[in-house]
Amino acid sequence: MFSRVSAVAAIAMMAAVPLAPAMASELRVGFTLDALTLDPANHRNRQTETILRNIYDGLLTRDAKMKVVPELAESWTQVDPLTYDFRIRQGVKFHDGSTMTADDIVFTFERLTKDGAMGGQTSPRKDLVGPVESITKVDANTVRFKLKEPWPILPAMLPVQEVVSKAFTEKVGSQGLATQTNGNGPFKLVEWRKGDAIILERFDDYYGGSPDIAPVGKACVDRVIFRIIPENASRVAALLAGEADIIAELPPYDMKKVEANANTKVMTVNGTRSFFVALNNAKKPFDDPRVRRAANMAVNKALIIDKILLGTAVPLNGVLSPDAFGFNPDLPAYAFDIAAAKALLAEAGYPDGLDVTLDTDGAFKDMAEAVAAMLTKIGIRTKVVVGEGSTIRAKWAPGGEKKGDMFFNSWGNGSLDPADIFVPTLRTGDRGNTAFYSNKEVDALLDAANVELDQVKRADLYKKAQVLVNKDAPWIFLWLPQDIYGVSKRVTGWEPSADSRINLHDACVK
Amino acid sequence: MKPLALLGRTLQLVPVLLGVSVIVFVMMLLTPGDPVEIMLADQQATPQQVETMRHDMGLDRPALERFGVFLGNAATGNFGLSFFHRRPVFDVIAERLPATIELTLAALLLALVIAIPLGVIAAIKKNSLVDRLAAVGSLFGISLPGFWFGIILIILFAVHLKILPVAGRMDFACEVAPVTYLLTIDSLLRGRPDCFTNALSHLVLPALTLALPMAAVLTRVQRTAMIEVLRSDYITFAEAKGLSRRRILWRHALKNALVPTVTVAAIETGSLLGGNMVVETVFGWPGLGRLVVESIFVRNYPLVQAAVLFYAVTYVLLNFVADILYTVLNPRVKL
Repeated sequence: MFSRVSAVAAIAMMAAVPLAPAMASELRVGFTLDALTLDPANHRNRQTETILRNIYDGLLTRDAKMKVVPELAESWTQVDPLTYDFRIRQGVKFHDGSTMTADDIVFTFERLTKDGAMGGQTSPRKDLVGPVESITKVDANTVRFKLKEPWPILPAMLPVQEVVSKAFTEKVGSQGLATQTNGNGPFKLVEWRKGDAIILERFDDYYGGSPDIAPVGKACVDRVIFRIIPENASRVAALLAGEADIIAELPPYDMKKVEANANTKVMTVNGTRSFFVALNNAKKPFDDPRVRRAANMAVNKALIIDKILLGTAVPLNGVLSPDAFGFNPDLPAYAFDIAAAKALLAEAGYPDGLDVTLDTDGAFKDMAEAVAAMLTKIGIRTKVVVGEGSTIRAKWAPGGEKKGDMFFNSWGNGSLDPADIFVPTLRTGDRGNTAFYSNKEVDALLDAANVELDQVKRADLYKKAQVLVNKDAPWIFLWLPQDIYGVSKRVTGWEPSADSRINLHDACVK
Repeated sequence: MKPLALLGRTLQLVPVLLGVSVIVFVMMLLTPGDPVEIMLADQQATPQQVETMRHDMGLDRPALERFGVFLGNAATGNFGLSFFHRRPVFDVIAERLPATIELTLAALLLALVIAIPLGVIAAIKKNSLVDRLAAVGSLFGISLPGFWFGIILIILFAVHLKILPVAGRMDFACEVAPVTYLLTIDSLLRGRPDCFTNALSHLVLPALTLALPMAAVLTRVQRTAMIEVLRSDYITFAEAKGLSRRRILWRHALKNALVPTVTVAAIETGSLLGGNMVVETVFGWPGLGRLVVESIFVRNYPLVQAAVLFYAVTYVLLNFVADILYTVLNPRVKL
């Protein structure tokens, strides 16, 4: 037995000796999920997008402040509410050395938006490009997007669409593009070890990236490896053991451990998903704004964020993330005040309180129960009902029977534009309006913003609408969770991004 | 083994696979959750997009028709497209299978290497300290959740001692052209001992985690079998003949005492496939078990169906192998 143990130990010692002195600078990302495919048009998955976005660039991108800036496009203009012209950057090379042209742009977006354009399949990302009527080459350097109806978030959505090479895609077919790449981004694919790792190396003929984001030029590190480690504890162990330099989705309860380690630190950034409790505005008791306001005053958000989310969320007084376009920082908060909430409830005709249910998906049970306990304290006696996602969503469908009382809900806003969250969740009858909220003034402001070309005016319209919604309180406004990363101190030049991308172009390792 | 018996065994597979297909299909049907909704959940999709996807996946057709199409295609080895990878299920599974085979074989080997000597020693020195320790060890081996044990191993060997890696199959620096797709074997075949030790160092902890419960069971089986054999007449006769203790134990007793161990091991290998799902997740091992778990979460029906069929076939085959091994080790038994 003992000789066997020592044999294992000997093997272990041998393995500990590094294989070869690593001359090249290498950055390893501990990641939760492997890319589902390498075809940028044939998935709808955030992790896949994160990986591919280091291989491919988009027409537009976002700077550190989440402002949309040109990338493969040199500039763009909105001609009218339905027409956008993109001027294409010259001298951009694909990884095979060929030059990108306007034809590649047209091809990429036709592939995304036409039914059956990917070897018979339709892109799952089709509606992320909006109501596109046509995409045409105006001249050698200009591509025109024509829309069927106004869709002001087109520029905000373009950073998540990558441009592929027409010639390469036609050569390998859509099946081939699932496992091979010919990108135009800062890194090119070396090897995809499926389920294990995606290995990338610096593309030396890179055009430099967006001129609006310094530093412009080639990527800093020689090599990037996305290592797939789905289990949280193991991913954290990989960071602590020095096997990973950046890990995504660090669990909040492991933050202390990462901070306590001399070589690692925690980095956080606001996420894009707003949480709220949708109150049924279409029936008693929540058809009365006073009851809804009382409910908002009853919930001690700070306590829940502190105790359940371990401080990794920011409280909201409205629908938008603080990083979103048109965010109104001046919205009043519903201060936690049990006495005032009780008084308001009595004024609304419920001096003895009332009984309601709160629907939630199992994943949010603990938070829903905390909210329910706080509501019960002021007399809104709340029973939490845990249900399965699709069943709950059917119950709360805007076109449904509108029978529920409260729904613990959330809405993701990857574009960080109100048109993608404010409109669907709060415009009368829209597809995500689970509170059945309807305010003609709000609708008018949202509709005006939808066709407003002047971005300052558009932001202003959304800011006004936020004031109205804050006052009407169709929801209990909750919070916006943060994305948490564990990062090795040898990494410099990298910041987590509020659109949950992991952009490694500027990252260096010491 | 007669050809007729072989044919009979093969035909037995048909109702098993059909039964498994029906059960899996019905279970997936009854599990709440909609793959289209999950796939498009990241950014809330428009109703048109949802309908296009549903049609693309064939989910707009009645369940019975879908099952018929699945059976028809499966009979020809076509398992359709994985919903999420949007590539043939067969390809996606084939990419992940070698990692699982390598891990399973390593765990099996490790379990045998631990269990057989330990069981024999425990039997010879019945009620001694070694026997008691083996009993306690077995109890632990069976009771420890693989999930917890794996993480403890990682924290000890990778984070604190820093002598073994946390996750993965092989470092980037090693690139070995595939022969068998089992990285340890391929690195030896390609003359890369450095890559062999590298692959082995990645394999040790997951294989140990996976092997532990099996080793525990096999130790007990081996001990019981050995005690029984040592009590039999022919051993007494061999002792009377004056054969050396060593010769009796290793030559006469062990061969017969191995029969139950080997058959149990063959059958238990099937349960290793289940254990793989946990171990592969903990150690980021790029195998089939993890893929299946991920696929169940996102309701990737075609992949789950194909993988469960694969598991069923493997299980039946392993039972078959156990039967054959039994006849080889014990010629009195005929199939």
